[in-house]
Amino acid sequence: MTQLDYILQQIVNAVSLGSLYALVAVGLSIVFGVLKLTNFAHGDVMMVGAFGVALLAGIGVPFPVAVICGIAAAAVTGFLIERIAYRPIRDAPDVARLLTSLAVTYIIENVGILVFTSSPRNFPLPDILNTSWEVSNGAITFTSINLLTIALTFVSLLLLGWFITRTTTGLGMRAAAEDMSAAQLVGLNVNRLIVVAFIVASAYAGLAGILWAAQAGVVQPQMGFTPLLKAFVAAIIGGFGSIAGALVGGYILGALEIFIVAFLPSAVSSYRDAIVFAVLIAFLLVRPGGLLQPNREIKL
Amino acid sequence: MSREARITLLVLVALVAGAAVAFGAPHVLSDYFVRIILLIALNAILVLALSLSNGFTGVFSLGHVGFIGAGAYISGILSIPVQQKMALLPHLPAFLHAFSLPFLPATLVAGLLTALLAVVVGYPLMRLSGYFVSVATMGFLIIVNVVLINASDFTRGARTFTGVPLETTLPWVMGWLAITLFVLARLVYSPFGRAMKAVRDDTIAASAVGIGVLRTRLIAFVTGAFFSGVGGSLYAHYLGSFSPNTFYFALTMSLITMLVLGGMGSLTGAVVGVVCVSLLSEVLRTVERGFTIGDFAVPALFGASQIVLGFIFILVMIFRPKGIMGDREFTFGLTQGSATVNQTEERKR
Amino acid sequence: MIKLTRRGTIGLGLGAFFALASASTALAADTIKIGYPANLTGIQASLDGPMLNGAKLAASEINASGGVLGQQIELVIYDSKSDSTTISTVASQLIDSDKVVGIIGFADSDSVLAIGPQVQKAQIPFITPGATSPKLPGQLGNEIFLAAFGDNVQAAVGAEFALNKLNGKTAYLLTDIGTEYTTLLSDYFVAAYEHGGGKILERDTYKIGDKTFTAQIAKLKALSPQPDFVYASSNAEEIGLILKQMRQAGINLPVVGGDGYDTPLLIQVGGDAAKDTYFTTHAYIGEGAAPKVQAFIDAYTKSVGNAPENAFAALGYDSVKLMADAIKRAGAPDPAKIRDALAATSGLDGVTGTITYRPGISVPDKSVSVIGVKDGKLVLASEAAPTFVAEP
Repeated sequence: MTQLDYILQQIVNAVSLGSLYALVAVGLSIVFGVLKLTNFAHGDVMMVGAFGVALLAGIGVPFPVAVICGIAAAAVTGFLIERIAYRPIRDAPDVARLLTSLAVTYIIENVGILVFTSSPRNFPLPDILNTSWEVSNGAITFTSINLLTIALTFVSLLLLGWFITRTTTGLGMRAAAEDMSAAQLVGLNVNRLIVVAFIVASAYAGLAGILWAAQAGVVQPQMGFTPLLKAFVAAIIGGFGSIAGALVGGYILGALEIFIVAFLPSAVSSYRDAIVFAVLIAFLLVRPGGLLQPNREIKL
Repeated sequence: MSREARITLLVLVALVAGAAVAFGAPHVLSDYFVRIILLIALNAILVLALSLSNGFTGVFSLGHVGFIGAGAYISGILSIPVQQKMALLPHLPAFLHAFSLPFLPATLVAGLLTALLAVVVGYPLMRLSGYFVSVATMGFLIIVNVVLINASDFTRGARTFTGVPLETTLPWVMGWLAITLFVLARLVYSPFGRAMKAVRDDTIAASAVGIGVLRTRLIAFVTGAFFSGVGGSLYAHYLGSFSPNTFYFALTMSLITMLVLGGMGSLTGAVVGVVCVSLLSEVLRTVERGFTIGDFAVPALFGASQIVLGFIFILVMIFRPKGIMGDREFTFGLTQGSATVNQTEERKR
Repeated sequence: MIKLTRRGTIGLGLGAFFALASASTALAADTIKIGYPANLTGIQASLDGPMLNGAKLAASEINASGGVLGQQIELVIYDSKSDSTTISTVASQLIDSDKVVGIIGFADSDSVLAIGPQVQKAQIPFITPGATSPKLPGQLGNEIFLAAFGDNVQAAVGAEFALNKLNGKTAYLLTDIGTEYTTLLSDYFVAAYEHGGGKILERDTYKIGDKTFTAQIAKLKALSPQPDFVYASSNAEEIGLILKQMRQAGINLPVVGGDGYDTPLLIQVGGDAAKDTYFTTHAYIGEGAAPKVQAFIDAYTKSVGNAPENAFAALGYDSVKLMADAIKRAGAPDPAKIRDALAATSGLDGVTGTITYRPGISVPDKSVSVIGVKDGKLVLASEAAPTFVAEP
């Protein structure tokens, strides 16, 4: 394998991972944009989507149907969380809301462990998705899942872009994100918009969780934790609250992770997560608005 | 009796009572109850340290457990007996192999080094506010965890760090708790304390009247880190063995729950939160094993206690977000009733 | 002062509940109490859960056939939440309040090290079904017994199998540095493999929870000459993925590992990629298994509802039988006598092999099964004891 092949392979890996991270970050960004809430429960909504598919496909439901059900389950979960936990504290200080989302995570995970036990379960992929493709005499490979992730991310984000620029609800969401009280003043039904935002964000989370589990091969109730952290880093780097920011941040994070492991000596690359979070902290200090929002006003 | 004299008397009474509990309890109570009291006191130290930043300065740090872990490992490395050190940590730098410190010096060194770490970490981070500082401190916790796992020459990596002598007893913990309360009370009920609260409540106004925001937050952060390091050392010498995972998100959730439920703006609140959550956890732990009332058998439902605690947390957030004590302190009417509402009291008199 | 009254009521209520609950858990006497702390929630739960199921099965079987010394045995179960402080609290409950005569617990060394000092001080015999670090008795004392072979033993068997049966003169070593078990296993493997003349061409690491191993695989692929086999010290969650990604990258070398592979996930997640994979473990639980093993699988499936999830189910089962056998030979539910009887165990037949403790050694001499994957099924490739074993 030549050096060029090695680099190309790592680029493929980075793009695939970046797409996944972008998808994972987008839901988090939407919720923050509209509600100014750091939603720690995002990871668990992903888990619900993945678990739904694992359970349904495990008992024989055809895979595409299972996926749709999984996404729906995630959306419902998000809706319920907003209704039960977030709405009553909408006017509470930021800290209280952040803590509530932590508590929600805690509860969902432990209920999952109680009901499903914390043993990892197989995530059944249909055989057509288990294939891989080779290029350049086997020097560069990528799997169907990689391709699917990239494609789905592309399509779904296009869809999202259309939604928020062409539909009234979408525009309303953006208005609420920019200035909640002004949106109320002009007569927008803010409650409804928030609910829509949550459902959309949770559906994306569900899809992201399914793709994540497809790559990991297993699901377990605690699986939402790692994607949540990745989502945070990606969203903040790109610009917290911005969908385009989630996209950009996702790819940057994916590239960062792959290249640290691929091109640095293994003594250094085992510090990969530390490096990533150091980068995150650097961004928070120097450019808290993320890459895409240089003029963002930051609450002091 | 003048106010000063009454305060002194109260403090003396508290110290005597504390000493009585510390030295007498192991003889009167079963080991189980002594452990519960010890853990309550230990967690109280940790939560008090946390409250300095999270409650009084308004910097909601999710990373303090990183300091606790640092304190634990540092004091552990220092206090393992020399022979065991050679066996357990063969790749330590030679000078560390040569000696091992007794409990108190090891704890002090751990606290100081942790405070130093906090200066380095806090200097950039204390400029941030709101979610950003929470996420940034969370990043710090993750970085500490990764470093602990990778610096295996010092920490044995993911393998259990064992051999720490079991020195933590109730008198030690109560002693440190007294010191922590004393230092923190002096800090909070002082002009500096009012500066902290000003920074928390309105950063811009505070800096407008000349309070150094960064300096205030940093002092609170570093002091909290010192006591976190001390607490970490006590923890290490209680467990005897631990691993990087001991000081990660589970402990963070636990401490935050105690702080928030008790009330973030008061020292008594921190202690009350620890007591309530600890007792509640123990009760739930007993109950979730299943029990029989008369003819009615309730099956075991392991994991229920965490869920119940989570729900209680959310309920408190919804109905009483300031926690049980809110801003008030338990002072038997001796000092001003709360840390923030002092001017009105004075004027009322 | 509403606040105080509310707190007062809560306090009163808690106190009452506490009293009530603890009163009702003090069951009738005349059972032999064996403590069973288990990490039923938290990160160890996937191991301790099945272990508890196996243990409960064994206890019910023993009680159904008359108990021990004419009394029923009772497992006193607490959830220690994979948390060291809870473990130490639970230990003092078991020792002081429940007054158990023996304790069985845990699948990981962290937890055993957390409970060890207390059981050693109280001189209560302790069996760990699942922790495999051979250092434990040396670190803790003579009350601690392992029911499984030590990692040094299984790593040595793995190394010798690779050298002799797979003709593996050179190796690539991949280690999960995120858990104690995998880190230790790798160290023992290196010691045994190099002692047997093998050469390790390259070492790489990852951390538990990783999903992408493409960087490490690329490095492996770039090795020239290619190694004869891969030793991957991995936990259950990752091995399926590692195998899949390796085969997808075109690497068809045999892969050898430890009992971390021993879950249905290996074949479920690995699929076709799991072929040519070998791992050392406690017992062969597949087709053509010994009748004793098959009987256990059937009984477990009947009582739990699914097949044993991993080898820890069988280890939990054997540990209870081991403790019961020791109590019987001790003649009385006395911890000191039980401890001595335990140390004298010889030739006790279990699902996971025959348990014998050599004098003064609390890690049993057990033979190791090497299991291979062929045509999507598990087959017994070898059953051996190692010739050279690294010091713990």
